[in-house]
Amino acid sequence: MLTFVIKRLASLVPVFLVVSMIIFMIIHLVPGDPIDSIVQIGSTPEQKAELTAKYGLDKPLIVQYGIWLAKLATGDLGEAIILRQPVSTLIAQNLPHSLILGTLALVFSTIVGIAAGAVAAIWKDGFVDRAVMGIILLGSTVPSFWLGLLMILLFAVQLGWFPVSGARSWSALVLPVLTIGFGGVALVARVTRVAMIDIARRDFVMMLHAKGVPAWRIQLQHILRHALLPVVTILSLRIGWILGGAVTIEYVFARPGLGSLLITSLNQRDYPVVQGCLLMLAIAVMLGTLIGDIVQAAMDPRVRERMS
Amino acid sequence: MRSTTKAILLCGSALLSVALLSGTAMAQDVTFVMPARDVGAPSYNPIKGTRLNAATTLIYDRMVIQDADQSFHGQLATSWETTSDGMSWTFKLKPNVKFHDDEPFNAETIVWWVPKFKGTENAFMTDAIEKVEVIDPLTVKFVMKNPDPNLLFNMASSFMGIPSPKAFDAMGDRFGVSAAVGTGPFKLESFAVGQQTVLVRNDAYNSASKLSTNQGPAKLKKITLREIPDDSTAFLELKTGGVDMLLSVPTDFLPRLSAERATKVVTLPGTEVYYMPMNTSVEPFTDIKVREATAFAINQKEILASLFGGVGAEANTFLIGGLAEAKVDPKFRIAYDPARSRKVLDDAGWALGPDGVRAKGGVKLQVKLWTQNGTEFKRITEVVQAQLKAVGIGADITVFDAATITAQYRKRTEHQLAVRVYSWANADILDWFFSGKRLGHPNHAMWNDPASEALNEKAMKGSRNWDERVTNFRAYHENLLSQFVFAPIYQPVQNFAYADARLSVPATIRGTRLQSQTVVDIEKK
Repeated sequence: MLTFVIKRLASLVPVFLVVSMIIFMIIHLVPGDPIDSIVQIGSTPEQKAELTAKYGLDKPLIVQYGIWLAKLATGDLGEAIILRQPVSTLIAQNLPHSLILGTLALVFSTIVGIAAGAVAAIWKDGFVDRAVMGIILLGSTVPSFWLGLLMILLFAVQLGWFPVSGARSWSALVLPVLTIGFGGVALVARVTRVAMIDIARRDFVMMLHAKGVPAWRIQLQHILRHALLPVVTILSLRIGWILGGAVTIEYVFARPGLGSLLITSLNQRDYPVVQGCLLMLAIAVMLGTLIGDIVQAAMDPRVRERMS
Repeated sequence: MRSTTKAILLCGSALLSVALLSGTAMAQDVTFVMPARDVGAPSYNPIKGTRLNAATTLIYDRMVIQDADQSFHGQLATSWETTSDGMSWTFKLKPNVKFHDDEPFNAETIVWWVPKFKGTENAFMTDAIEKVEVIDPLTVKFVMKNPDPNLLFNMASSFMGIPSPKAFDAMGDRFGVSAAVGTGPFKLESFAVGQQTVLVRNDAYNSASKLSTNQGPAKLKKITLREIPDDSTAFLELKTGGVDMLLSVPTDFLPRLSAERATKVVTLPGTEVYYMPMNTSVEPFTDIKVREATAFAINQKEILASLFGGVGAEANTFLIGGLAEAKVDPKFRIAYDPARSRKVLDDAGWALGPDGVRAKGGVKLQVKLWTQNGTEFKRITEVVQAQLKAVGIGADITVFDAATITAQYRKRTEHQLAVRVYSWANADILDWFFSGKRLGHPNHAMWNDPASEALNEKAMKGSRNWDERVTNFRAYHENLLSQFVFAPIYQPVQNFAYADARLSVPATIRGTRLQSQTVVDIEKK
């Protein structure tokens, strides 16, 4: 198992290098200039040129990438051009907010998704199945930005149950968690449903029926349990989504977090911050994949053998 | 009465008093929402910062402040005078003023403060000052390198808030981030970039300007200024009582706010102008006739009425209406005149085609019309497109985000027309947008004409006093208007909204924005 983990970790190094280069190049090739956000009305073109040189933006792109990568190797994400703080400090201030929001949304989508998928599988092809999957499909296709505003209008403005925005109380987490969570429910529910229907056709299930085991026990203890393997894989792949899924929702609900930081910095082309945030998202996705592989290997010896 | 009973009664009274007092204190705690443009301002360092937010003037006082009519008034300065050659300025300072850290404010503070701007992005604001001399503990003299009649305007900027020398020097780069110490009516309690700033009242405050009714400490005890980037979310927070005041409300929200009985909207003259620069370096706008026709095709009145419900004002020059330099000879004003547009184009040989678009020598008068993302930009641009079509100019709209459009302007020859907005309350904005030194961006008109440059140079550097400066800038302004390098469109006003049941706000907002001179008079009901 240890060899497996080490091999998987080693395979992430070239992926990380490629991802870091793509992130760096994309943000620098997008038109725009952070210096435009800091030059004051009245300053001269020479002053702007000085600022460009001060932040090293006059150097060739590949040289800038080399400098950034060298700093990255020492754990230094650089200094924000507009926000004037170390990028690591900004990320440390914002990451916990996104992690809490994303984790709760993942937990919500997992519980609701598995429950909905199981219900749909048990009553497959019937009214309940169609109704549950229909509602889930609807929820997952509504843009989260719009769903967030609808949630605010209903639960905050009309009913007054939760605050409209902010992060000043735990109750302020409810609406953003529901908004993000709904997006994930559909995937988990569909995977659970398909897996349960597939498992239900296996020989050992027929044998359990033949032995007279109660149907509810077969569904919950045997079919659902076996069906969770693909669900766990899907969930581990969605660890990256914990951070990435909150980007627009943090904006709508005026919550602090990596998403808010990314959008603000992107608008101002604050390159070091955008690079830092995107790198965090990429690392989260890579770690999620790694965890998914490890969990799969731990649960299924065949996977371990195949990949070691 | 037994001593134990007395003690119980005394304790009870004391507790009741504390409860009542704290109740009063809580009653004076309010929550404001900062303007969306202020979201993400990284620090409260007025000397080194490049972006400051609405809370800055509550923490720091300035020597001079402006009223809504752009007039100048003393805040930390009681009076000032300048010599006829403009080579020195003498300021009398307010006595008995202390910083939040109890350090005294006096002439030595100014001697320390002015040189601190050297080498910063804000250095241009004090560039003209050679040195500061102490005349007496409450009088300073600025010895100038060259006359700077714009000095008072610079002194009234938020970037000219004066920090405590002791705290500033001690904290280095952390100043303005983890603490901010000024002489203003509020002290910084906490600051989280992009989230909120909490200010508490400076109980020793005694340096309010004459623009404030309340000359003592502010009436509000604590202000939480939240940063909410989405205007819809901010509006809903006000509606549900989550916040007490919005420091900026987009004009298109006004009908909805007016429908809310619990909220009240106050307006202040704006500092923004929507306009449409024309790229004078590319066809067909190299031809002054096409520029003239384009400028007079814009129906400012229709835009004001149909898009903004009459809130704001038509723009007929490049500058906001409150500036003296905007009072140009009426013959230079650009106001909708479609007959003139059509005649000019006809005379120039641009004949109307069957599709309603003019053509000349086989070339159609079809141009690129750029705009930025954002509801107001898109709506204005669509109306402008229709208005141009009405005189035979076809326009294809492209929408960019703010950073991308700037990069596109820098290519210099890619753009033709663009709908833009600026926010500035000084005539030197003409130099910023039309100086030949800044072609592409911010000189989107690519205007580089020797006569204009000479007028600009005279206005920027050849004025010894304010009146001369006004005269020179007015001449430069008229020159630009006569060359039709842009079409003026619309002047918005600033809108503030507050919960009428919870806040008492002065009927007249004093200042160019909602700043300390008004906030000290705001009270919670």
